[in-house]
Amino acid sequence: MKTQLLCAFAAVLITGTAQAQDGDASAGESLYAQSCAQCHGPEGKGMASFPSLEGRDAEYIKSRLTTYRDGEKVGPNSGLMIPNASKLSDSDIDNLAAYISSSFE
Amino acid sequence: MSQKPSPRALGAIAASALMAALPIAASSDTDTPELKHTTVLSGLENPWGMAFLPDGAMLFTEKCRGLSVRLPDGDVNKLVGMSDTEDYATTADDLFCEGQAGMNGVAVDPDFEENRAVYVYSASKKSDPPTNRVIRLTLNEDMSQTSERTDIIEEIPYKEEASDHPFGGPGAHNGGRLRFSPDDGFLYVTTGDNHNSQLPQSGDTLGSKVLRIDRDGEAAPDNAEATPEGFDPRIFTYGHRNVQGIAFHPETGRPYITEHGPWHNDEVNALEAGANSGWDPRPNMAGREDCPDDYCGYQPNQGEGMEPEKRDNYMPMTDTDTYPEAMEPVWDNNNLSQGISSAAFLTDDKWGAWKGRLAVSFLGIGFGGTPTGQRIDLLELSDDGESVEDVTELPAPMGSSRFRALVVGPDGDLYTAVDEGSIYRITPE
Repeated sequence: MKTQLLCAFAAVLITGTAQAQDGDASAGESLYAQSCAQCHGPEGKGMASFPSLEGRDAEYIKSRLTTYRDGEKVGPNSGLMIPNASKLSDSDIDNLAAYISSSFE
Repeated sequence: MSQKPSPRALGAIAASALMAALPIAASSDTDTPELKHTTVLSGLENPWGMAFLPDGAMLFTEKCRGLSVRLPDGDVNKLVGMSDTEDYATTADDLFCEGQAGMNGVAVDPDFEENRAVYVYSASKKSDPPTNRVIRLTLNEDMSQTSERTDIIEEIPYKEEASDHPFGGPGAHNGGRLRFSPDDGFLYVTTGDNHNSQLPQSGDTLGSKVLRIDRDGEAAPDNAEATPEGFDPRIFTYGHRNVQGIAFHPETGRPYITEHGPWHNDEVNALEAGANSGWDPRPNMAGREDCPDDYCGYQPNQGEGMEPEKRDNYMPMTDTDTYPEAMEPVWDNNNLSQGISSAAFLTDDKWGAWKGRLAVSFLGIGFGGTPTGQRIDLLELSDDGESVEDVTELPAPMGSSRFRALVVGPDGDLYTAVDEGSIYRITPE
């Protein structure tokens, strides 16, 4: 189990670095300001009970947004994230992942 | 972690500076002021409450950090840190934050110049299970240290376990505002329902209440005469959901609260001793069946958008069918919940046509088609204080934010803390 987790983590690190370049960070910035900043904060630091996005790599952001878009609950803010993510296209998710992973390090 | 500001941040700073330099016209009404803003503090972590000392110094809390004071010359002294902080004069390891909980409200004793007493509301692990507490501290003469910590209320309920609800993590719905009434001199403490359906209507717990106590935590003598028999004598009003704001009418002294709605109906209520605000999210009553984790607060559809009126019919913020004597709100934000937070009356002449209005702030929550609604509204109350005659959005010169706290300073200006990490001063001119 531990080995599997480590492998998964390593895979995330590798693919995360590669895929951070996939999206358009500039397009992601606009979308972030419009749809995300009011809860996660303009600098991604998190506010109130909304989590910080600092240090999250692109693969993590893509994975979470895809999970929410699929309607799956992850954590106590799923009620807000699922309807927000349901509107996102694949390229929206790539763009957000590129912006968040490169801006809130 | 990089400290380099993003281009967007630089843009925001530039925009902020520009806005600060150019006062914004409040409205076309010639008797309404123009507003400018000054950034009093920035770079804070979730500032939650402020209270002014007689000399203009400002106490403020940060939810996961602790209590500090900004001196009149602008220096900041960090007074009481919570667990995992190291840079405060004192560290209280039992004080912690989780979700919405942490260090919340702060108040200054009306006799501060004699007794140096200040008060904070905070989650604490001193008890097991953890609770929210109201803590009295003595501030030294040079405002660098506190001493003589006395927990004057120890058992305000805290939500320890996550539940299957929106915002359902631990630490939900604590209320947390502290204010002394200039009229009766008592300390008012607002609390919340913890996503626990048993709290609002129960008389033996302090959750979902407004408490009225003296500086030692003893009940105000008139409370028990007004509340139902058997109620804890510290309870002033009950049946609330999550009260994050309280302000006292400048002429009548009557307390007004802001009560955060679920997916509908933020409320402003004018309190009377002993009143029931009518929130009762228990399952298997009032036409409801079972609900997730025994709490119907977001039903009948807690995960998707739905017309607010339908929600209100199913799970009313003020259930006058079950409780015909329940106190009805003076305002319900047009059936919307947008995260109403704090409240303060504008009392200085410089507010012109807005003098006497009740300012109420909104965090903003965009869910199910509801506009996010981050703003400060100015409510004009009717002469009898029982209704709202006009609502004007304050043209916030710093732009929109998650407005968490409002307080009027000794200069008559309106101060607001925003979750983004700043405290602003809004000056009418």
